[in-house]
Amino acid sequence: MIDNKIKETVTSYAAKVVAEGMSGKGDRIAMRTKDGFCVNDAEVSLCDLKPENLIELPLDTDDKDYVVIARLFAKRPEVHAVLYTHAPFVCAVARAKATIPAVLDDMTQIVGLNCKTCKSATTEDLVKGLSSRNSVLVPGGGALTVGRTMDEAYTCALVLDKASHAYVCGSVLGGNKTINCIEAKLMNVIYQKKYSKINQQNISKREGE
Amino acid sequence: MAWTKEEELRLRKVIKDSGVNLLKENLVQGTWGNTAVRLDEDHMLVTPTGLDYVALQPEDMPVVQISDTSVWSDGKKPTSERKIHAAIMADRPEINATIHSHPVWCSVLASARIELPVMSDEMQKLVGGSARVGSYGLPGTKSLRVGTVNAMKGRNACFMANHGVFCAGRDMDEAFEIIRVMEKSCREYIKQCTLKITGQLEYSDELLFDYFVSKYGK
Repeated sequence: MIDNKIKETVTSYAAKVVAEGMSGKGDRIAMRTKDGFCVNDAEVSLCDLKPENLIELPLDTDDKDYVVIARLFAKRPEVHAVLYTHAPFVCAVARAKATIPAVLDDMTQIVGLNCKTCKSATTEDLVKGLSSRNSVLVPGGGALTVGRTMDEAYTCALVLDKASHAYVCGSVLGGNKTINCIEAKLMNVIYQKKYSKINQQNISKREGE
Repeated sequence: MAWTKEEELRLRKVIKDSGVNLLKENLVQGTWGNTAVRLDEDHMLVTPTGLDYVALQPEDMPVVQISDTSVWSDGKKPTSERKIHAAIMADRPEINATIHSHPVWCSVLASARIELPVMSDEMQKLVGGSARVGSYGLPGTKSLRVGTVNAMKGRNACFMANHGVFCAGRDMDEAFEIIRVMEKSCREYIKQCTLKITGQLEYSDELLFDYFVSKYGK
């Protein structure tokens, strides 16, 4: 049985994804639970999501609609939330099968040193693509983002959307100037280990984990 | 202390509301960005580091000394960008409120490191001319601070390379007007650049996406 606080968190963030114009066909919103994870029923879009449309599954599920999320939770114990969203600028980058370089410093902190489009949409490639990043693009699709809390996964999706704007618009502005790899890594470590630590602990309690 | 307790309480609420309004107006994501208001010639209230704007309370905002930002009291640990807010307030006595944030369209130009020309009478009036780009530096560093202060000379807004935007007003309402006009102007500039490079007469996001995919697609 899914805890009411978790149901409330998931449905409220689904509404935020819709309000920000990041929703599309095939969206998923999932949060870790005591016995596995809860996720929106694949037949129900985030626009129509209600608490009764959430289902709970074990981490070893082989159901093709949810197996990527299950493997992500299993592989990364620190991850408590997964989002699959379709922000238009993000989808443009995924359509181009491009990699977003380190164009903005908040992107390097929460997303990672860059954001790649996976070779394919197979479970193996997507899980591998998220092994050292908090976001990966699905070729011809949207973006998978993860977080220690639902708030962090959602913020990661917002920042990725902004980085996609910077990268796509950069094409008509003569290109982007990127942050060097060492400084990007430094900012990523400081964000993960220091800057966000207390806030994420506070949010985790609020979200019902 | 050259301010009254009553005035301090009012300004604490101004700072608290500024963080919430940045989120509401989609001018920031998460806990990034920070704001400051002047208390007197040598003191300001700033937002704390790394905490949720919604959960923050007015009493959480620390009082920071402008002439020596290592000196602070009465709140939670101040933002690491307090030196930039202090440097602008020390350099510009008419400035009483500052916003550093990472809104979407300003971030695009910050990432391309492009100076934004004057796009409207409103921008000329509020910003005071074109918006320059301050030199790149890691958050909290001297090079970011010096770059921002130099880019702000004679202006009320500038970009911070690969980082965001900095705006300064006579009060927080004016600082918000400035950040809004910067967002609007950046968006218009990108539309104009898209039309120029594609040779089309009418802008749409699809036009931009198609150009991007044709240029960067694999």
